[in-house]
Amino acid sequence: MQKVLGRIQAQVLRSRATNALANVVRHEATSSRTAAKPAATSKEFRERQVRFNIKNEQTEGRPLYLDAQATTPMDPRVLDAMLPYLTNFYGNPHSRTHAYGWETESAVEKAREQVATLIGADPKEIIFTSGATESNNIAVKGVARFYGTKKRHVITTQTEHKCVLDSCRALENEGFKVTYLPVLANGLIDLQQLEETITSETSLVSIMTVNNEIGVRQPVDEIGKLCRSRRVFFHTDAAQAVGKVPLDVNAMNIDLMSISGHKIYGPKGVGALYVRRRPRVRLEPIQSGGGQERGLRSGTVPAPLAVGLGAAAELSLREMDYDKKWVDFLSNRLLDRISSALPHVIRNGDAKATYNGCLNLSFAYVEGESLLMALKDVALSSGSACTSASLEPSYVLRAIGTDEDLAHSSIRFGIGRFTTVEEVDYTADKCIKHVERLREMSPLWEMVQEGIDLKTIQWSQH
Amino acid sequence: STGLALKTKDVVNITFVRANGDKIKTSGKVGDSLLDVVVNNNVDLDGFGACEGTLTCSTCHLIFKTSDFEKLPDKPGDEELDMLDLAYELTDTSRLGCQITLSKDMEGLEVHVPSTINDARAA
Repeated sequence: MQKVLGRIQAQVLRSRATNALANVVRHEATSSRTAAKPAATSKEFRERQVRFNIKNEQTEGRPLYLDAQATTPMDPRVLDAMLPYLTNFYGNPHSRTHAYGWETESAVEKAREQVATLIGADPKEIIFTSGATESNNIAVKGVARFYGTKKRHVITTQTEHKCVLDSCRALENEGFKVTYLPVLANGLIDLQQLEETITSETSLVSIMTVNNEIGVRQPVDEIGKLCRSRRVFFHTDAAQAVGKVPLDVNAMNIDLMSISGHKIYGPKGVGALYVRRRPRVRLEPIQSGGGQERGLRSGTVPAPLAVGLGAAAELSLREMDYDKKWVDFLSNRLLDRISSALPHVIRNGDAKATYNGCLNLSFAYVEGESLLMALKDVALSSGSACTSASLEPSYVLRAIGTDEDLAHSSIRFGIGRFTTVEEVDYTADKCIKHVERLREMSPLWEMVQEGIDLKTIQWSQH
Repeated sequence: STGLALKTKDVVNITFVRANGDKIKTSGKVGDSLLDVVVNNNVDLDGFGACEGTLTCSTCHLIFKTSDFEKLPDKPGDEELDMLDLAYELTDTSRLGCQITLSKDMEGLEVHVPSTINDARAA
């Protein structure tokens, strides 16, 4: 219905509302609206047109950035650490016969230690990869395949990142059995259900720490304890969690952990995988080659990127409390402002077990894409960057049981270390203004105001 | 004569079986490692023991029979496992020869030598 109305307005705009056309439009409007209200006259229509017009609202410059789950800007201190290895110190860290190799190797090993310290691991347990997607692939496929002769079952959840789900799908094609655990309405898994799903055939449980779309934080310590007691390996995709929430692989019984560089203010194109040595986790490497990184990830380690990841890891460990307070403050401010001004705003995912830097809100009776278009000067996303090219509602929101119309109206606010109060206030004000504007245009909103329960309406197939 | 008796008592006979089935019969003393046996007897195994037992190469990879493997007194350590992960033709009963110390009850031990080796130092 919204679409019909939009089309009518577009027509009016194009024809400059010549009398004849306006009549046609008016006719269309009456026929498409089943409500008893009289159709708008062309004068009224033009007034609305002016009121709803946001054509000249665009400000100059680039939009402000509020999509910290997609990627984060690199911390200048990280760049400082990297620069020498992009210029003068260009040796191959695996060269054993000259000083160029040695100096780079020692820098890479220092970075390995920095990453290990962040998650309470031993440096030997860290292998550098190209990012969390690769880490997830190596972990999920590698463990399942290595133990595949005896155990052929893998457990994951429906809200995992696409690369975990796709790795599992690849395993299914190889004859593995995969269980995709459902999640509760708050986005958390049911531990009882997980326990019942683990069998003697299960080799791996893969559950992400913080969800990239709704920010929900799974109880990894309890999952780890359960997996250890059932002697099943536990992999967690911690790309969104590392450096933002305290993690300790030993205290939480985590056997494998995926880490991403560019989500923690580090460079893009680098990540890490933690692989436990005791009790030993073995996996079949995906990539063949020179046997670097314990043979698990052959290929020359990109020294500048690894150094950057190390520096980012150290910074995020040192400033974790500071960052947390700042992100919590901004996130609460944004949420308070929006929810105090607007009714029918739903927060997706659990409000307590969450990382506040990821705030996913559904604005009922507003189409998410329309709101994103209106908020052109704010870089936002309706969900994960990987799937935002499609207009399909997010599978994560569907998994938590969000109604389709609400899933279509969701926006993810990603707040990070460099987000400012002004940015949050600007976004909140803009958001409130445009939600109100779009709702005013929406016939659904009108019906809700009149007290009609939309769920009782039988929409006819046209 | 007691000395000689002691000597024969200390000797352990070992057989290396190549991938093609050839058997190389040799012997070592109690307390020697399997790498020592290969070096002391000039056993012709290409590239075997390149790092001289410093746990950096995985070239002394040997495959044991399950029953023999289970009798070995020590489990492989982390460093050895790291190297074994890099070895070709890895099995559940693989060990590095340099980490296996001969004892009297290993008399007549037969170990298989994989057809290819991987010198992990050549990265």
